[in-house]
Amino acid sequence: MEHVGAVLLGVPYTLLVTVVALAIGAALGLPLALARRSSLAALHLPARAVIDVLRGIPPVVWLFIIFFGVGNQFVPLDPLQAGCLGLGLISAGYLAEIYRSGLGAVHSGQWEASDALGLSRTDSMVRIVGPQAFRVALPAASTYAIGLLKDSSVVSAIGVADIVFRSTADSRATGAALAPFLVAAAIYILLGTPLAIASRRMDSRLRQRVAR
Amino acid sequence: MEIVREPQTQAGDGAVDLRTGAQPADRLEVSRKGAPVVRLEGLSKRYGDNVVLDGVDLEVSAGEVVAMVGPSGAGKSTLLRCINLLEVPDAGTVTVAGQCVDAGKEVSAKDAMRLRRTAGMVFQSFNLFPHLTVLRNVSLAQERVLGRSRAEADARSMELLERVHLAGKADTYPSRSSGGQQQRIAIARALAMDPQVMLFDEPTSALDPEVGLEVLAVMRELAESGMTMIVVTHEIPFARDVSDRVVVMADGGIIEEGDPHQVINHPQHERSQRFLRAVTER
Amino acid sequence: MLANWLEWLPELGRGLQTSVLLALISVTVGIPVGLLLAVLVSSRRAAVRITSIVLVEIGRGTPALVVLQLVYFGLPNAGLTLGPFTAACAALALTTAAYTSEIIRGGLEAVPRGEVEAAQALGMSYRDTMRFVLVPQGMRIAIPALVGFGILMFQATSLAFTISLQELLSRAYSIGSSTFLYFQVLLLAGVLYLAITIPSGWLSGRLERRLSRHL
Repeated sequence: MEHVGAVLLGVPYTLLVTVVALAIGAALGLPLALARRSSLAALHLPARAVIDVLRGIPPVVWLFIIFFGVGNQFVPLDPLQAGCLGLGLISAGYLAEIYRSGLGAVHSGQWEASDALGLSRTDSMVRIVGPQAFRVALPAASTYAIGLLKDSSVVSAIGVADIVFRSTADSRATGAALAPFLVAAAIYILLGTPLAIASRRMDSRLRQRVAR
Repeated sequence: MEIVREPQTQAGDGAVDLRTGAQPADRLEVSRKGAPVVRLEGLSKRYGDNVVLDGVDLEVSAGEVVAMVGPSGAGKSTLLRCINLLEVPDAGTVTVAGQCVDAGKEVSAKDAMRLRRTAGMVFQSFNLFPHLTVLRNVSLAQERVLGRSRAEADARSMELLERVHLAGKADTYPSRSSGGQQQRIAIARALAMDPQVMLFDEPTSALDPEVGLEVLAVMRELAESGMTMIVVTHEIPFARDVSDRVVVMADGGIIEEGDPHQVINHPQHERSQRFLRAVTER
Repeated sequence: MLANWLEWLPELGRGLQTSVLLALISVTVGIPVGLLLAVLVSSRRAAVRITSIVLVEIGRGTPALVVLQLVYFGLPNAGLTLGPFTAACAALALTTAAYTSEIIRGGLEAVPRGEVEAAQALGMSYRDTMRFVLVPQGMRIAIPALVGFGILMFQATSLAFTISLQELLSRAYSIGSSTFLYFQVLLLAGVLYLAITIPSGWLSGRLERRLSRHL
């Protein structure tokens, strides 16, 4: 099973891209979500447009725009940078929506109670609603993260040496057409399925401590 | 022995003899007053450490109307749901219209289905099928379970909808009807299967008191027509005026049973005294 | 830039057609299989249940890109050679089946338990309960999520670029590599994708609101 060795070389890159993209997305997603929830049209309309565009264009197309488009013509970017940036932006769009439903799922009575107690808007958000929203959003966010692990495979199309890239290269090198791809599939399943099961278990435990 | 009601000798009635699968012309054998339609022996059920039913025995005769009252968590609903095996007891036997199921042995889906054909159930939350019209709600099981033709089933459904005064709603969807109306439709749906016994699980608890009266009126008519009924309820006046026997349950067991006026006005057991006092002194 | 866009539009339009067609076929074939899997996953027979769960988890755990590679490059080894379009249809249909089976299962589980009990109390068999109560309502509940998934599948057609299918992205890339105006043409491709995904998203939202009115 030399194929396994060859394909495994791609795992660090897959993980790296996934983690960096998630970090960028988690950070950028929050201001986007808050802007989207804002009552000011000057904030929520552009935010909505940005989110729709980020989520409405296929990831591989975004990567091509950033790597071949921006990367070639404007700012030089290597495949890894382009991959992380592209997936990071897309993640920001999806996570913004996840944050938004998390915030929305918390019963409005919680805001009212905080107001009645005299807490400032910031305090209400940070101490009362935020933690509950986090609990609601976490399962959806972890489901997204696990999906991102698989979707990160698109970076192979712009040359990042991840699992899929390695399996394609190995297939061309050895002439084996089935095995390398089966190995790649197996690796993704072994990485993702335990995480998915853990995530589902966490989901049911978290559901209990939120006011809906 | 008195015969409670006219034998239903209409051809194509659809009632199936559960032992032989044949369709007898009359069901006098089983409907004679005095013969038990429902017999529960030694029913026990627990959820983890919580004992919900503690070796309960109950017998209901043909044409009898039994009201089951008691505090929440007493096990009344669980007992009722054991009769048609929506809950499977851990131990004991359930016999309905001659069909016996022993919970000690494996209870198969077939056993459960056979039992369910003899008992009709009305739920607290009505549980009508929202995606089907009222007529279809009442006809569907007649076609699929009793094998009646569409025309037969629809005719019977209309009869029953007339009986509960809702024939006009036949071609509408349940969401267009009020809670009380939906519950009456649910009663019609259960009656359409020609059950030997009707089980009511807190039928008016989800309804406004006023609206509950319409449903209780239909139940009263049903009782007067001779149907065997077991009703889990909080409606003490109904229990006192309509039922033949009141059973008081608490903590998984029957603590008192007997004549309605006796039990409700002069409860003997300390626990039933507490419960009934709380209900009557609101 | 606009002049170039107008020039490229017909060519990209053909690519868009291919992408849309691919998405529609994959979803039309995949969802019924997904429904079957959703029912099998709830089967009381352990052998059936476990096999279907394994199939679903494999289908969901493998990236669509890998499935595409497997079907197009790998299958010929096992004797089955498919052209790019057919291979893409097969691969995306398989992925659709696996994902939608979970969506539909969620829909089936969301049907109020009381209705299932009512059907049981009426003596209806498991099959009849599935057929008349659970599936009609479960599918209805699942429709918004299924439409959302359909939109994602449309986006996934861009992955077929890697198996030489002449869909939208590959055509845009060809134009880019001959004119070197990558940014402009890829941006146009992006706009064309948005032209489908954004209105679909709105429609899906409206559909969801309409459906929840009657339930």
